Amino acid sequence: MTRFKSIISRIVILHVVAVAVTSVLMSLALAWLLSFATNNIHNKAMEEQANSVAGHLSVAGDGTLQLDLPLDLLGLYSQAYGRYSYAVIDDKGNVLFSSLKDHGALFPADSRTSATEFLQQRRGDATVSGASVRKIIGDRTVWIQAGEDLANRDVLIDDIVADFYRNVGWITLPILLVLLMIDIAIFRRALRPLREASDIARRIGPANPGLRLPTAEIPREVRPLVSAVNQGLDRLEEAFRIQRDFTADAAHELRTPLSILRTRLELLEERDMSRALLKDIDDMAHIVGQLLDIAELDAFVIDPAEKADLRAVTAEVAEFVAPLAVAQDKDVALLGASHPVWVKGSAEMMSRAIRNLAENAIKHTTPGSTVEFVVEDNGTVSVLDRGPGVAEHERELIFRRFWRRDRRKAGSTGLGLSIVQRIAELHSATVSVESRTPSGARFSLKFVPAT
Amino acid sequence: MRLLIVEDNEELADLLAKGLRGAGYEADVLSTLEEAASVLQTTFYAALILDLGLPDGDGLSLLKEIRHRNNPIPVLVLTARGGLNDRVTGLRSGADDYLVKPFALEELVARLEAQLRRPGHLLGTSLRIANLEFDTRNRQASIDDRPQLLSARETAVLELLMRSKGRVVSKKQVEDHIFGHSTDVASNAIEVYVHRLRKQLAERGAKVQVHTIRGVGYLIAEDKQA
Repeated sequence: MTRFKSIISRIVILHVVAVAVTSVLMSLALAWLLSFATNNIHNKAMEEQANSVAGHLSVAGDGTLQLDLPLDLLGLYSQAYGRYSYAVIDDKGNVLFSSLKDHGALFPADSRTSATEFLQQRRGDATVSGASVRKIIGDRTVWIQAGEDLANRDVLIDDIVADFYRNVGWITLPILLVLLMIDIAIFRRALRPLREASDIARRIGPANPGLRLPTAEIPREVRPLVSAVNQGLDRLEEAFRIQRDFTADAAHELRTPLSILRTRLELLEERDMSRALLKDIDDMAHIVGQLLDIAELDAFVIDPAEKADLRAVTAEVAEFVAPLAVAQDKDVALLGASHPVWVKGSAEMMSRAIRNLAENAIKHTTPGSTVEFVVEDNGTVSVLDRGPGVAEHERELIFRRFWRRDRRKAGSTGLGLSIVQRIAELHSATVSVESRTPSGARFSLKFVPAT
Repeated sequence: MRLLIVEDNEELADLLAKGLRGAGYEADVLSTLEEAASVLQTTFYAALILDLGLPDGDGLSLLKEIRHRNNPIPVLVLTARGGLNDRVTGLRSGADDYLVKPFALEELVARLEAQLRRPGHLLGTSLRIANLEFDTRNRQASIDDRPQLLSARETAVLELLMRSKGRVVSKKQVEDHIFGHSTDVASNAIEVYVHRLRKQLAERGAKVQVHTIRGVGYLIAEDKQA
């Protein structure tokens, strides 16, 4: 049965087998019933004939029995017709009257038993079937036998039996096939909620883990499966939530002590000492922030339906980092498209990637120069600086986690560009870096345009 | 002026209260949403400093409740969650400003004062960068404590920039602030006013610089070269 994977095909196959078996059994049953009915009719007729012959028996004056058949009955039993025959037998087994040529009994004449008996007897190459009826005529007991030659049976009845399969028997097959079609339709209808549930199931994913299969319309037999699947999804969602909560909890647990430390330092009297320590704390807070970003990104899934205006996101980042640049005597400019540029993905994540590029650019660009953000219609955002640029052999390395050009330099984690890389991966976006003349680097992120 | 701090970490709450006292504010400290909700119904505070991760729930729910009751109290949200989305959610729920931990106490005080100086709020005094001061009550700018006479449009631009100290003001914001959003504004009109303001400030010896952030907006900052 494993070859038939679908319920419908199983039903069809089983049904076809059932139809075949049923049509055979039904034909046999009908044939049997029909022959039973014909036999009954035949027996009744034979009994009638025996009774009718008996009606013409009478006791003569000498005490012997005499049979006085009218013409129509004589015709019926004539040798020429040969189909019906009768015999009258007394209690000693003597044949008193017989329509047969040899003047014999139709059936063995030991019929001592019941009042009416149905018998069958081979005579030569013919089979005679009929009834034997006991009658008392005057003071004598006689048996009147009436029979019919089966080879010469009633043509009408034979025709009914012969036509049965052609006219009646075959009707069972189309009826059963129609039933099969109706059953398939019923099953398809009954299975529709399952197909609908499948459509919903197809949409369940990390992006919308709250989706559940509807149980209301599901057939009761399948409902335990659907409920079990829903419960499984509950557990998965819970696992997802725990993972997300972990990042949120970790953020809280790490950032609150840093806040305490920072505030405590700010309240200290020794300003020079605390300024250096505050810088250390800010560096550490930066690292914590980046590590949390990475932890979050590892568990992050983008909703495929999500889209963002790359220009608006870039403008927000430029706005955010501008005071930082101005404080270092550097400038920021937003160029390129002046209208919304819609791309696929999460605005939040894009913003983090662009911010990491921007912070890098501001750090490396020379004082007095400008960090430029360029948004293009094809979904590309570029961040350009006037720093030392990135050497050819380092262009792969810089995107690795914890890679740093100069490990002795404090304040850099080597995580910023790996975050950019990871966000690009999540968005099926590409990151590229090239050098500018006379100096500087151009980092580009090309997102997938949203249609 | 009395502030309410709702923060479940006692140590941080006490340090913040101490720091704010240093800046001239009295602060009460509560650690649960439930307490905060009931106290806010009976006591008037100038502003609320609200941590989001509290033992009995998310601070944003208290924020929604406060706004639902049409309580206009300025709310400054503190959070360990640094995402942009979190910021948007916070501001949509009715927060006036948002600081990610760890933050500078100075920054907290500055943001708080920016809120308290908003029209209708309590702090009506002056905004200052280097030797430039702007009094929001009579909209008077002064340099080295000498009052300056500026045109109405220049004053409006300066006020907006001073109120947004440390942050970029978008060109659109300046347009809306000066013209409202009804009229058609010539594309370079804002440029012209900023240019005039910049010239006026430089001529009068203000040690500030109005930076044009191309494609983004304007930013006022102390001029370190002057």
